[in-house]
Amino acid sequence: MKRMRTLAGISILALVLAACSSGTTDTAAEETAAALDDSNCAAAESFCVGLVTDIGKVDDKSFNQSAWEGAQAAAAEVGGFAKYIETTDTKDYAANMKQFTDKGYDVIVTVGFLMAEASVAAAKENPNTKFIGVDQFQAEEVANLTGLIFPEDQAGYAAGYLAGLLTKTNKLGQVLGLEIAPVQKFAKGFEAGAKAANANVAVTTVYHPPADNGFGDPVWGAAEAKKQLSQGADIIFGAGGGTGNGALIEIAKAEGAGTSIFCIGVDTDQWGTVPEAQPCLVTSAMKGLVEGTSDLVKAAFDGSIKGGNFNGTTGLADYHDLASAVSADIQAKVAEIVAGLKDGSIMTGVTL
Amino acid sequence: MLDFISDNKKSLITLGLVTVIAYVFYFLDEIRTTSVMVFGWGYAVPLVLAAMVGIIGERSGVVNIGIEGQMLMSAFAGFFGSVFTGSIYLGMIIGILTGVLMGAFLAVAAVKWEMDQIIAGVVINIVAAGLTSFFYAQGKTLPELMPVVSIPLLSDIPLIGPVFFRNGLFALSTLFIVVAVNYALFKTRWGLRSRSVGEYPSAADAAGINVTRVRMMNVTLAGALAGCAGAFLALEAAGTFARGLTAGRGFLALAIMIFGAWNPMGALAAALFFGLSTAIASQLQADEVINIPQQFVNLLPFVMTLIVLSIAVGRVRPPAAAGQPYTKEG
Amino acid sequence: MTITESKKDKDLGFFVRNQSIVVPIAAIFVAFVLGGILISLQGVNPLVAYRAIFSEAWFDSDGLLRTFQKTTPLVLAGLAVTVALRIGLFNIGAQGQLISAALASALAGIYITNLPAILHVIVSLICGVVVGALWAAIAGLLKAYRGVHEVISTIMLNSIAVGILDYLVSNPFREPDQSLQRTKKIAESAILPNFGVIPFGFILAILVCLLVSWMLNRTTAGFRFNTVGKNKFAASYAGINMKLMIVTGMLLSGGLAGLGGAIETLGITYRFEPAFNSGLGFDGITIALLARSNPLATIPAAILVGTLRAGGASLQFNTGIEPEIVDVLLAITLLLVSAPILAKFLFKGKAQKTANVTSGWGS
Repeated sequence: MKRMRTLAGISILALVLAACSSGTTDTAAEETAAALDDSNCAAAESFCVGLVTDIGKVDDKSFNQSAWEGAQAAAAEVGGFAKYIETTDTKDYAANMKQFTDKGYDVIVTVGFLMAEASVAAAKENPNTKFIGVDQFQAEEVANLTGLIFPEDQAGYAAGYLAGLLTKTNKLGQVLGLEIAPVQKFAKGFEAGAKAANANVAVTTVYHPPADNGFGDPVWGAAEAKKQLSQGADIIFGAGGGTGNGALIEIAKAEGAGTSIFCIGVDTDQWGTVPEAQPCLVTSAMKGLVEGTSDLVKAAFDGSIKGGNFNGTTGLADYHDLASAVSADIQAKVAEIVAGLKDGSIMTGVTL
Repeated sequence: MLDFISDNKKSLITLGLVTVIAYVFYFLDEIRTTSVMVFGWGYAVPLVLAAMVGIIGERSGVVNIGIEGQMLMSAFAGFFGSVFTGSIYLGMIIGILTGVLMGAFLAVAAVKWEMDQIIAGVVINIVAAGLTSFFYAQGKTLPELMPVVSIPLLSDIPLIGPVFFRNGLFALSTLFIVVAVNYALFKTRWGLRSRSVGEYPSAADAAGINVTRVRMMNVTLAGALAGCAGAFLALEAAGTFARGLTAGRGFLALAIMIFGAWNPMGALAAALFFGLSTAIASQLQADEVINIPQQFVNLLPFVMTLIVLSIAVGRVRPPAAAGQPYTKEG
Repeated sequence: MTITESKKDKDLGFFVRNQSIVVPIAAIFVAFVLGGILISLQGVNPLVAYRAIFSEAWFDSDGLLRTFQKTTPLVLAGLAVTVALRIGLFNIGAQGQLISAALASALAGIYITNLPAILHVIVSLICGVVVGALWAAIAGLLKAYRGVHEVISTIMLNSIAVGILDYLVSNPFREPDQSLQRTKKIAESAILPNFGVIPFGFILAILVCLLVSWMLNRTTAGFRFNTVGKNKFAASYAGINMKLMIVTGMLLSGGLAGLGGAIETLGITYRFEPAFNSGLGFDGITIALLARSNPLATIPAAILVGTLRAGGASLQFNTGIEPEIVDVLLAITLLLVSAPILAKFLFKGKAQKTANVTSGWGS
């Protein structure tokens, strides 16, 4: 009995000490943004932006992170507050959104196509809250839900076109995450663009085997990239979150990286997010996630946001230090393609 | 030498068959075969190392189901150790030591406290997954790359040379580690003592062997190999750390260990078999040779393993005292 | 013995005799304290953090429903592993069995028509249970007749299941006009209802748990199970058909895991999509170990895990602490429940020996 009392006493003492030493407010490092907190979100003057990630973390160097950066930037610009919740289970989407709606948040950004239905349901239940669904195509218009969609195939096409012109071996490779729609669009776009630029080119396309870690397996990505390189590919497209990053890092190690061997990143300008890849990273097939999210959040702030679909921009990242490896001729041609895709004069021809 | 061959008949036959088939393909298509074998060996390396950990432990009587957690923690420590010390070599050492540290925990929990060994392993796995995710800091990059070393002469052998003898430090050491563990386990006094402790601890005890000490030491030191496996993944294979980097390889290694009948050479053969079938599956997808959906092609290694196990291997017997704590009687 | 001494002994005696309840509670307590220290290292008040978890998981009606929903498959997966452990088998394949059953139930819910609701639900559940059982039986048969160790076969079968299901849901059974990988929604008549905050699935899980416990502890079949688990040689000498036992054990285990998957589909997700499960099968192992192979104990263990998971979002929302802290709490609890340290500290010499829950690999 005495021992139990001792144990209980020590434990309670420890808890109390911990509680007192860490302050009485419930703040923590991750929820940065502007000055305020979310205690008065319901008030008209305060602007609170919430973000619900897809399964994964906000520092995944991929689209969760980009969307968060966009939301944060927008909130800071308009003097609002931003917070995120990381989803651990697909069944929690609705509950996670509810955390924000219960607190009277003004805008909720939901990231990822898996959340599409949950977003629609939440938007219908909370007509006074604005919802921004990243990668969520709206088949029917819901007034307070805006789907931020991107034509990934266009970004892939532009990257493929560049690769088709740049390749010396006429062999290209793709190291991909799981075989799901957005990745397929990138991949098929890449192949279409490459073939359009260079009819003799052969594109090797490999998806990660179905598994929970399809987008977080840099070991496999690196091994696959190495295999494709040794089989003659001189430009490889890495599209698949962490898996793709592994490929990029491996290619950067290759002899001739940056002069005869190149890698292409995805989603954002990976020059900044994966610095190890810089030796080979000629460009990235980007989805304007940061800008798109930021623009929509600001539009929600000033009331100009509309329901339905909002087309985000896609494009190719800057060539950075490898610009000298891409001849002016090729750069001009690629720029033409990008412009043509944007104004609709060039179609990728990709259907799923 | 002769008993080595007769003891490891099955493994050597498998390895021999694989080698012959590999050279046939090599003759047909040098580049593809070499690159497929490189992929396969790269896939097998962490499995082999991790299987060694399991073998040393179980041969001594301690079941280690926490190899996955050891590897993950070591990968984390190796990567961030390299980042913060600025040296990949220090990172390697830190990774290895982390494996040893976690091995020590298993040793204390399973041997000294006589806790259920499976549970101890599960605890290691959960803690490793939780801590490496919780404390992950993004945006860190390795200060330098793992050097690729070629062993002179050996690396010039066609096909086998570049595959096995031109690699980063961990992959290079793996074959030697397997041979060393095999030799130690079956040809040294330490090996005899360890195995007796795993088969018939009361007899070993009666013969004057300190069962507890042998088990604890073996489990702790075997952790170094788990550290190698984890550090290999982060420092050599991927060049970065990501949450969940090990992705179940630690559990796969247990399957490899059993497949290899708790034998280092057997584990090597099994790991190679698995790695190569994974490589072949990936190559089939790349070449679009057969018009089978990629999901099915990727099942190749798993299905093949089941088939081989059902037909060829049959019942294998683990060390008799594996999994049971030993308490001195009287 | 003086009067005061005997009274003290009586106080202590109550706790000593009920060690199997006292120790886990103490373990949870210590785990929360240690977790609290980790939380305070992040600059957050642990009491606030814990309040966030529990107020969401237990005192919010949506949250309470989610807690029950999360607890349900955990109970069943835990039972699946427990039943296998009782017979000396280590079923790591609960994951594959669970997801296979989930798809089967979804398909039954979609393609079987013209059945009244009650029958439709029953048939769909049974489809899931049967598929889960059969998937496990593969490993059972391989072990019984070809000596293939169940650890290998179940690991392989998990991956095989993922691959096959991924194909099925991307192609033949994909929801038309959808680029998402998933099936159509199941028919209304196949949906498992909720009674207020209590899902029907939870009630079913509790009933099944009681049934399993009764079977293992009070029937001849259960007696045979336990005998095989404790001593394989004695069991076969006693004339028990080992092959039959192994296959039956895996069938039962897989069926339980399958029921978990079926309830997930029919009661929560209403369709099958590959991302739904987040490692439930492996959680089942943790639950079974926390429950120390006692079927009834899977319920409190599952409630603990379910609560922590359901409260995780509120935790992060209110304090910014990442959800992974829950895993650390669970690991510490599991450790303290299973290692004699805590018991020895509390009860010194009178601590019960923590018997081995698993009998090692065995052959």
